[in-house]
Parts: sequence; C-alpha cells; structure tokens
Amino acid sequence: MASEIEKGTRYIPEMAQNEIDELRSSIKAASIKVMEENIARMKKTWKNRPKTMEYFDEISNFFGRREKEIREQKEAGKKVIGYSCMFAPIELILAAGAIPVRVGSGWYDTAKLGDRIMPVEVCPVIRSTVGAKMVSLSPYLELSDAIINPLTCDGRTKLSEILSDYKTIWYMTPPRVKDDPHALTAWKEEIQVIKGKIEKLTGNKITRKNLKDAIELMQKATKAFRRLQGLRKGAPVITGRDAMLVNQTSLWDDIERWTQKTNELCDELEKRLEQKEYACYPDTPRVMITGTPMIWPDSWKVPNIIEESNPQGVLVVDELCTGDRILYDPVGVDEWTIKDMLDAVSERYLMASTCPCFTSEHGNEDRVNWIMDRIKEYKVDGVIYYVIRGCILYAMEYARIKRILDRMNIPVYYLDTEYTRQDVGQMKTRIEAFLEMLEARIDI
Amino acid sequence: MLEIIAETLRTTIAVGLILAGILTILIWVRNLTKKLSALRLFIQTVSVAVIFLGLIIGPFGLAEWAYLGSAPKDIVIGTNILGSPYPDGLSVPTFACYYASGRTTTCVIWQLQSYIFPDWSTSSVYLTTGLERLAIAFGLLVIISIVFGRFLCGWICPFGLYMDLLTRLRNALKIRHWTLSERVNEGLRQSRYLIIAAFLILSVILGMRAIAGVELISESELGRYLELPFCQVCPVKPLFVLVEGGLGFMNLDYALSQTMGDFALTGWYLTSINIIILGVVTAGSFMVRRLWCRICPLGGLIALFSRFGPFKRLSLIKLTKVEEKCTKCGICKRVCPPQVTEVYEKKGDDVTASDCILCFRCVEMCPYEGCLKVEVAGKPIYKSKNWLKEEE
Repeated sequence: MASEIEKGTRYIPEMAQNEIDELRSSIKAASIKVMEENIARMKKTWKNRPKTMEYFDEISNFFGRREKEIREQKEAGKKVIGYSCMFAPIELILAAGAIPVRVGSGWYDTAKLGDRIMPVEVCPVIRSTVGAKMVSLSPYLELSDAIINPLTCDGRTKLSEILSDYKTIWYMTPPRVKDDPHALTAWKEEIQVIKGKIEKLTGNKITRKNLKDAIELMQKATKAFRRLQGLRKGAPVITGRDAMLVNQTSLWDDIERWTQKTNELCDELEKRLEQKEYACYPDTPRVMITGTPMIWPDSWKVPNIIEESNPQGVLVVDELCTGDRILYDPVGVDEWTIKDMLDAVSERYLMASTCPCFTSEHGNEDRVNWIMDRIKEYKVDGVIYYVIRGCILYAMEYARIKRILDRMNIPVYYLDTEYTRQDVGQMKTRIEAFLEMLEARIDI
Repeated sequence: MLEIIAETLRTTIAVGLILAGILTILIWVRNLTKKLSALRLFIQTVSVAVIFLGLIIGPFGLAEWAYLGSAPKDIVIGTNILGSPYPDGLSVPTFACYYASGRTTTCVIWQLQSYIFPDWSTSSVYLTTGLERLAIAFGLLVIISIVFGRFLCGWICPFGLYMDLLTRLRNALKIRHWTLSERVNEGLRQSRYLIIAAFLILSVILGMRAIAGVELISESELGRYLELPFCQVCPVKPLFVLVEGGLGFMNLDYALSQTMGDFALTGWYLTSINIIILGVVTAGSFMVRRLWCRICPLGGLIALFSRFGPFKRLSLIKLTKVEEKCTKCGICKRVCPPQVTEVYEKKGDDVTASDCILCFRCVEMCPYEGCLKVEVAGKPIYKSKNWLKEEE
C-alpha cells in the first residue's frame, strides 16, 4: 500500500547524515569557488566595471549577505515563500508581507546527485534541484515555508511531488492554450486559490492597500529593469553577463533595494554612454540567447565562453525566463479595486508570458514575436538557441524559430549542452566558429 | 405636486453638478494632462461648453423666449447656408440635443427624423426643400464620420462625459465595474442597427404624407410628439432638460406642461419612457463602463460611415497595432471602456473596431513601446509608450 511508505522517503533514498554533510560541504565549497571565478572572469572582460556592480556580486552569493538577511527576517516572524517558475504571482507574496525567493537550481554538481533517482532524460534543472534538496544545499529552498510550483512542464510536475516530501508545495496549473477565454478564467481561479493559501500561511490578509503597494513596488522594479535593458540597445555599455547577473539577483534580492541599486547602476552607465566609455568594442558581434533558463552560478558557462572568446561576442538581449523576461512585463491596473488588481496580476503572469509550454493554432506566436522584435530593437547579429538536454519544449520549438530567423536573414546556432563542465572545450570551438562567422558578416 | 418634484430635481441636480465640477477640476489639476485620460476629461468638458455655448454667453443680442423663462436662445451655427435660412443649423453626429437650450449645433438623428417628416416642400420656416435639408444633414454625417469617426463619442459627446463621470464616481467609491459577456455585447452591438432601422422606418411611415400624401396620423398634439420617434425613447433628452431645468436655464414647469396625460406620459420635452430609459442607462453605466455607447444608434451611424466597406479605407483616425511588439498581455482588452476585443485579438495593422470610441485608453495603458498607435491620415500622432516612465 502506498500509504505505508512514509512521507519523506517516497522518492529520495535514505542517506546517512554524515554523507549528506560531507557532500553538502564539498559542493558548497565548489560552488563558492565557481561563483568567485565567474565574477573574476566578468571583471577580467570588463576592466572598468562600475562600482555598483560590487553590490550585485555580493547579493549573487547564495551563502552570504542575502541568506543571512532572510534568516534574520524569518526569525523575526516573516514568512519565506519560494517559487520555482515565473508564473508565481510575486505581487501577492509581497502584499502578504512574505519574502519571495526563486528556488530553481543552477548547480552542476547536484545534478549528478539527482541522477540517483531521476532518469537522465529529465531536464538537469529539475535533477539539480532534487539533488540540491537531497543534501540541503540551497539556502533559499531550505528557508522557504512553502514553495509555489507552477506545473509548466513534465519535469516540474514530478518535481513538486518529490519536493512535497519535505516542503509544503503549492501547485499552480497554467493552461496550455492561453488565448482560450476559459483559460484565463481558470487561471484567475488558480490565483485566487494561491492568494488564499498565502493569506493562511502568513496570517496577513491581502487587502486593496497592500496589494496596491506591492504592485507599485514591482512596477518601479520593472521601470528600473527596463531602463537597464534600454541601455543595452545601443553601443555595449555593459557586458551581457553583468546585465544577466543584475537581472537574476532580482529573483532573490529585496526588490526595493534592488530597484534602487539598479537605478544607481543605470545612472552610472548613462554617464559612460555620454563619455563613450564602452564595455567592449562597439562593433563586437551582438548576440542574443534564447532557450532554456540559465541559472547562476554554473550555467554561466555559455555566456562566459561567448564574451571571452576570440573574436569576442556581446550578449545584448536574451529570451530567458531567468533573464530579460523576469521583470519586463508590468501589472497594468485600470481601476484600483481588489478584483481588478487580481485580474491584472493574473493576466500579467499568464497572458504576457512567452513560455514554450503554451500552444495555439497560430503556434506559440508570442514567443516568435518577442524574438523578432528584440532582434530588430537590439540590432542582433546572431542568435544562440541554447537548449540543455531534456528541455524538450524549447528543443521542439527550434525548427519554427529557425525558419523565421532564416527568413529574417539572422544566423542562428543550436547549442545543446548538459549540466556538465566537460564540454567547455568543444563548446568554445563551436561558439568561436559562430562568432567568427558573425564578425565576417558585419565586415561585409 | 409637479412643482415639488421640479424643485427637488433642481436642487439635487445643482448640488450634483457643483460637486461633479469640483471633482473634475481636482482630478484635472492633480493629473495636469500628463495622462491622456485626464486630457480627455478636459476636452470633453470643453466640448460640452462649446456645444452649449449659449448657456455661457447668454442671450447676447437675442430676444428671450418667453415660454422658457429666462432661457438664453440657441446660438446655432450655420443658420444661413448659401443665403437660404436653415434654422436648425448644421448637425454634428453627437448628442447636442435639440430640446435643450443654448446649443450651437444639432443632433443628426433629430434632423434626419425631422426632415423626413412632415413635408418635403419649402415652408415659411424652411426655404430649403426637405430633400435638400436631408442631403445637407446626411452629407455632414458622412463627412464628419469619415473625418472624426467615433472620436466624437470618446472625446466630444456630452452623454459620454456623463457616463465617464459616473465611472469616476464609481472608482472613487472603490466599486469594481461589471463586465458584460461577449454574447451580450454582440447583442447590443447588433441591436443598435435595429434601432436605427426602426426609427428611420417609423419616420418614413409617419412621413408618408410628405412622400405619398397618405396621412397616417393627423397633425394633432399626439402627432406632433410622434414625429420624432427616437427622441421619445432617447435617454439624453430628459438628461439635458432636467439638468438645464435644474440649473434654471429652462423653465421646467413649462417643459413638464408640454405633455399629453399624466406625468409626461408623452410629451415634447419629457416622456415617461425617456425618464425610465435614462434611469436604466444611468444605473447601468454606473456599473458598466460606457454602457450606452454599446447600443447607441448615433454611434452606430458614425460606425457605419467610418468602419465598414469603402468608408473603412477613407476614415482618417485609425488605431493600429504592431503585432511583433504585442505579447497579448490583455491589458488593452481589460481597460477598454466599451469592452472592445478586436485590439487584443486582431493580428496587427488596422485594429479599429466598430464599437471602439477612440478614447485611446488602450494606447495609454499598453506597456509596450510603439505597439499601439493612433494614426491620423496615416501619420502616427500618439504611440503607446512605457507608461511606467510617467510616474515621476
């Protein structure tokens, strides 16, 4: 009988405590090294990195200042709500006075641990998250009182089952066809349910006032975020990796402070733009990345190669749900009543999303449109279609995207990889060949 | 009895108007036209003032009309066309009600009905023949529709302003609007053409005398009221009569006395059907944004000559969308006062719908730069921009 198996041991095998501790400390040490190395490499590429970036370097450390802050706030009675995917309504978490943190994992080493229970065909993001949980590595996952897990793909569907061994998991089921009128109705129900759960956990009612404050707070963050993205449209004043780091820290940083720091960074970058002080040569090939989410720190592999290779490329824009999509869409409220605000929040998270988990008779055209628009706006020279093995939704959309990019005469390179460091050498060769081709095209 | 009702109405309306005026000024000062919707409110107010300029300027150089007390006479534009008297003046397809005092222009529905009945020949009042008058009214309708389209509904129409003020009042009370289902909206949209057809046919039937010499209704009192079938059900007529009566611009006692039977069952200035419909529309548009616009036959007429067939290409003001910039976030659909779905659904280019009142709320609220555009004769004059920037 299924009920005989105790909760907590349904999936994850029992491991000796000393084995867990040993693994955790070794992976943690390796991870800290990787983070430091990444930052050092970013500093090496961008010699006169702005001072404000130091703040983001500090926040990017999983085991540093931000972990301590969250721990302190949690001890003071605040709740922490983790979320695994962009579909989770951050505004509601903020309105209830809880701390939102993203819990997706970008550790390569823990993916190998996840292999013990997950088949290798499964996307490494999921395997890595499971592995991180096995050794209690991720501080944000450990600190979460509950985790919102939108069931966007098959991996996440089972991930929530495995994680529910340890944590309170709240499911959200995004509809697969978003232009359907009843899809939005169903999603609004989901939002209502999540709202109820958040209110119950935190003990704070989501009222008109605190929701309005939360929405306005996020709108300010969006404003800062868009300001930074806007600066990437012209000559490169910031390297892609630095911008990606700024974007990604918003997933776990205190959003008010993040907004302030991002605005400070933008002020500095605007000054540099006036003085024509660029992060690299202005005619460096401009690359866009689309595909599977790239999560700090280990997934910095590909951006590192692109921006350090010879010839150099610069990431000007991406279509990643851990990148330029995080804060781009604002919640647009017409009438500031609680119902209208909730509708606005629901629409922002469902309708504005360009996740490949959607389908429709027109194809997932919102994603295609986003990519086409970005290519024109950011004057992209070439697109790298980044897929990690197992992320089949992104992999399957490649054929369609390629056909459209071919028509636009934009070279696209399909880069498939794994959560492993072993393919860095051959990946460098492949990317360098692509960038060389882009550079040749620019010269013509 | 009648006097008490009139007195109560007068006071209520006067107080209401003063409060609404203060509210409008406050809202406007706060936003200072930084927002398009504030600018629209301002233009709507100015338009109402222009349409009823006679109330402001007063009976300058004109004799007072004894029946209506101290009512200033209308300052109608275009009373003399090509040397021949045209006493009703030029028409604009907006609710510049004929029955109200001090107007500068006339509602086109009134003119169309009026000129089709009772006779097409010249008279002591009109030196133009009925056919000529109809041609002028109809020609103006088509030209103005092509040039302005339903921009008139969103920015000029006094009844639109009335509904927008109701919406603002509801917002101030923090009540959420009701959304009508797509089916109900579609029903309203189609029934406005039924209304147009019905009142025109009715006008023709009642105007048989002019065309075929058959007199269906004798020129009795009742006949006088029924010549203009739509005006007897229109919610705008009683609104203006009551407001002007309440403000003392019109002798309400006189207006109410122009009736047949008890409590204005049928009447020149007010009918019971008028008042009931006004009540229903007021209550309805308090909860549903721009409810009347969805069924308005006048809007339907404008739409007919600006959104369909060859007129679609000719019309000057257009709403366009760049499909690539759209993420289908749905904001345009949610913020639209008459709940137009075309802007959201259509795949780019011209997205102007027949129900669209061109208030440009969607363009104002669209968070994607350059996605939605207002084009006048092909030239973009207003684009959606990153509205987050405006906060500071």
